[in-house]
Amino acid sequence: MTHLTMEQLLELREPGVEPGTAGRRTHLEQCDTCRLELDRVEQRAARLRALPTLRPPRDQWPRVAARVNTVRRQRRIRWMTAGAMALAASLALALLVPRPAPAPAATAPAEQLSSLQQRSRALEAAIGAYGADTRVLDGRTSRVAADLEDRIADLDQQLERTELAAPPGTGAADLMQLWQERVGLLDALVDVHVTRASNVGL
Amino acid sequence: MDLYPIANAESVVAQAREGDAAALEALFRAFEVPVYNLARRICRTTEDAEDVVQETFFEVCRSIGRYRQDGSLWGWVRTIAASKALMRLRRNKYRDTDELHDEVMEHKREDTALRMDLEAALERLGETSRAVVWLHDVEGYTHDEIATMMGKTASFSKSQLARAHVRLRLWLGEEALG
Repeated sequence: MTHLTMEQLLELREPGVEPGTAGRRTHLEQCDTCRLELDRVEQRAARLRALPTLRPPRDQWPRVAARVNTVRRQRRIRWMTAGAMALAASLALALLVPRPAPAPAATAPAEQLSSLQQRSRALEAAIGAYGADTRVLDGRTSRVAADLEDRIADLDQQLERTELAAPPGTGAADLMQLWQERVGLLDALVDVHVTRASNVGL
Repeated sequence: MDLYPIANAESVVAQAREGDAAALEALFRAFEVPVYNLARRICRTTEDAEDVVQETFFEVCRSIGRYRQDGSLWGWVRTIAASKALMRLRRNKYRDTDELHDEVMEHKREDTALRMDLEAALERLGETSRAVVWLHDVEGYTHDEIATMMGKTASFSKSQLARAHVRLRLWLGEEALG
């Protein structure tokens, strides 16, 4: 009697009826050897499933979190740079053009908010035009800039959450405060880059 | 039902989608052990398995917005982990070593038959066979699913599984019947 091959036996474990398996199933019913072999396959699979769980020797979360944060920062910088490139501003122009004027006191919250957002965009454009992501900074300046960028990123997440959570027309006070903080941080970031450029005579 | 349930899963996923660091870490903590176990069973070394864990959770953090809550969260994470582990195998181009071990194992059979040894036998399988036997017999993936993840055919997956079982039978000291 010709017994079933391992592949043929394994196919009989699969759900559904494969073409050509009817004859093999009949053989299996009549053949003790093949039935025993299939039982052993099942037992082996059960033993595999019962193997002890292997546990990681080291905590990998700090590395994952660091990588996630790095990518977020790079994405943010790319975004800021892309916005600035759209303005096609040069370094010299960015330094010569006067800072965006402080937001005028607007009468309605919606206007104040819009004004803050415009100022925020103007500051981002100035930073992008300066090419902040491609400049070499000394260690201290770099740390200050990175810290400001981190705080801006955190703020962006808060802004996103606030905008998502608040129904239209509500949450204006919270949004206003967050946008004011954002403008303040961007202002500080401009200072970091411009002051540093002045110091080295650029 | 999820094999590795996570408390307040919906809320954790919602927060993770907003980039909340604590929620992302909660996802990591919930699944780090099963992901490592899967990765280590497929990859040859601890270091590779750790890299797979990192790559898996980096992808989870990046793609959590694309997770559709109609399926099991563990199932979604597991498929990412399996794909990353298989990618790591391809990248490393491990040499399939089971043939090399055949002869050695013949001599060691008496020792390995002392039951140490499904673990050791599994470790000695070739990379592809071991990945297929683990994904199919333990994780429960179908041959079609394995074929998709490996970029091969279902027939390839079936033949690798059969090959793995023949070798395991031999190395575990089970005589071929018939």
